[in-house]
Amino acid sequence: MSYEFLLCLVALFGLSALGAPIALSMVVAAVTYLSLKGQDLGLAAEQMLQGLFTSFILLAVPLFIVAANVMNAGTISDRLLKFCVAVVGRFRGGLGHVNIVASLIFSGMSGSAIADAAGIGKIIINMMTRDGRYTPGFAAALTAASATIGPIIPPSIPMVMYALVSDTSIGYLFLGGIVPGLLMGLVLMVLNSFLAVRKQLAVEQATALRELPRLTLQAFPALMMPVILLFGIYGGATTPTEAAAVAAAYALLLAGLFYRSLTLRSLYKVFSESARSSAAVGLVIGGALIFNYIVASENIPGTVAEAMKSLDMSPVAFLLLVNLLILVLGCLLDATTLLLVIIPLFIPACRELGIDLVHFGVVVVVNTMIGLITPPYGILLFVINAVTGIPLQSIIREILPFLAVLLFALMLITFVPDIVLWLPRVFGYKG
Amino acid sequence: MTGLLLWLKRRADNVAVILLAAMFFTFILQIVFRYVFSSPLGWTLEACLLLWLWLVFWGAATLLDDRDHVRFDILYNYVGSRTRGVFAILTAVAIVFAFVKALPATWDYVAFMKIESTSLLKVRFDFVFSIYLLFSLAIVLRYSWRILCVIRNRGHGPVPMDHTESAEHDQH
Repeated sequence: MSYEFLLCLVALFGLSALGAPIALSMVVAAVTYLSLKGQDLGLAAEQMLQGLFTSFILLAVPLFIVAANVMNAGTISDRLLKFCVAVVGRFRGGLGHVNIVASLIFSGMSGSAIADAAGIGKIIINMMTRDGRYTPGFAAALTAASATIGPIIPPSIPMVMYALVSDTSIGYLFLGGIVPGLLMGLVLMVLNSFLAVRKQLAVEQATALRELPRLTLQAFPALMMPVILLFGIYGGATTPTEAAAVAAAYALLLAGLFYRSLTLRSLYKVFSESARSSAAVGLVIGGALIFNYIVASENIPGTVAEAMKSLDMSPVAFLLLVNLLILVLGCLLDATTLLLVIIPLFIPACRELGIDLVHFGVVVVVNTMIGLITPPYGILLFVINAVTGIPLQSIIREILPFLAVLLFALMLITFVPDIVLWLPRVFGYKG
Repeated sequence: MTGLLLWLKRRADNVAVILLAAMFFTFILQIVFRYVFSSPLGWTLEACLLLWLWLVFWGAATLLDDRDHVRFDILYNYVGSRTRGVFAILTAVAIVFAFVKALPATWDYVAFMKIESTSLLKVRFDFVFSIYLLFSLAIVLRYSWRILCVIRNRGHGPVPMDHTESAEHDQH
């Protein structure tokens, strides 16, 4: 590692720590490095522009953002929720189960945990805390925990980012996320049942069974969304990027024509919000492209791989170490930065150690999503705090058991690769 | 002054919405032609990439403020307003310095790209990439303005953003 690169890191982490936007800090760090090396400063712009212009899969990012925002703006989220209440609301701790099942279904439509928490999460927290049936902290903690499933079950923006930096098939990554996502839902439901008995949580008035067909019918078009997406991708009909566009178009049709819940004004707002988010995410990706260029020209990933090899580290020990590192960093950094900047360092080491890159990808995405709910810097906690006004302290107090079971799921996924790889293999993945 | 700025900001927002909407519908067009009419259009993909590139840098130049950016702000929100002022000046100076320093070389690169055009739509690359120059200039202006504001405010940094609004923008 050259001293120029060290100064580049100092600039990046120094400026970020002082509150400068991460994307701009990366540009400043890159310019610092290039000018110390006496290289052409135009390289920074070149890497960013060429990288963004040639990465076809990145087009999925704005499209998934539009789809998620349309679903939250229309009444699609509400309809889904009513359906879930009718199905699993009748058990003890029922609304907790509703919360988890709704997250599972919703995550099959949006690629974003934040959209999940801010949209469906907000509504269900209101339902749970009405009449004091659940404490606000518990409701918020459960919502945050179940929102982490969003990007594990496809579609998924973080997986698009991982596919970009690791050169892995996005289709197989998406498939690999399905079983782990269901597993996360399962462990959360088990925990919820246990807590429901221990805390003597309320039993809801069961929705009459004769209501069920009507509610199902109302939610049906929305329930079809994950089916269309998955069928499109794995029936070989569309590429994942095209599926993202189809998802957005379908959401738009549903909200606009079928449910008639979207006005022209709210549509404009959806596009305006989505444009901002896309620009912010795109800029960070661009920044990461320059940074990765520098990291590659310093041969850092190769050095890491060599070091792992000379340490004679077993794949299991390596995965454990990387998991631990990402969990610790996840308490401080956001998921985008982790996936785009830190993860690429370990990709060659994975190849060296014979770790499957689809497996590794799902593991690190699950890990970074858990990072979204680890204090002090857990963006999901902030979002829920912001949209509901529930104090951060009371959310954090209740989050620990949920964190524990999610970590248990992470360990299972890490050490039993088949949980991830079984489904991709069924669809012809040779790994 | 603020009235004019607000007006400009709204128009900038209109442009971003048009870019995103155009990209979205071009993509849909591509899908319809490929799967419904089985005669794929080549140019649509290129158009989408162009619009995406412009959306990122146009948005970053005109729309994004601290609240929208991906930032690490625990430390910034924790310290007092004097220290925030120091933080804001330090980061702004570094950003302005780096972007100004890189500007001539960036200009040369963009100008040099006039020798190439995109393969299907034949748009010259110096035009395509010129959006980065606009972005660079906007960043220099924005952060120079921030330095002035902190100085005028006698060293007090901008108030930290709460996460209420950033919540709507972050996407993971």
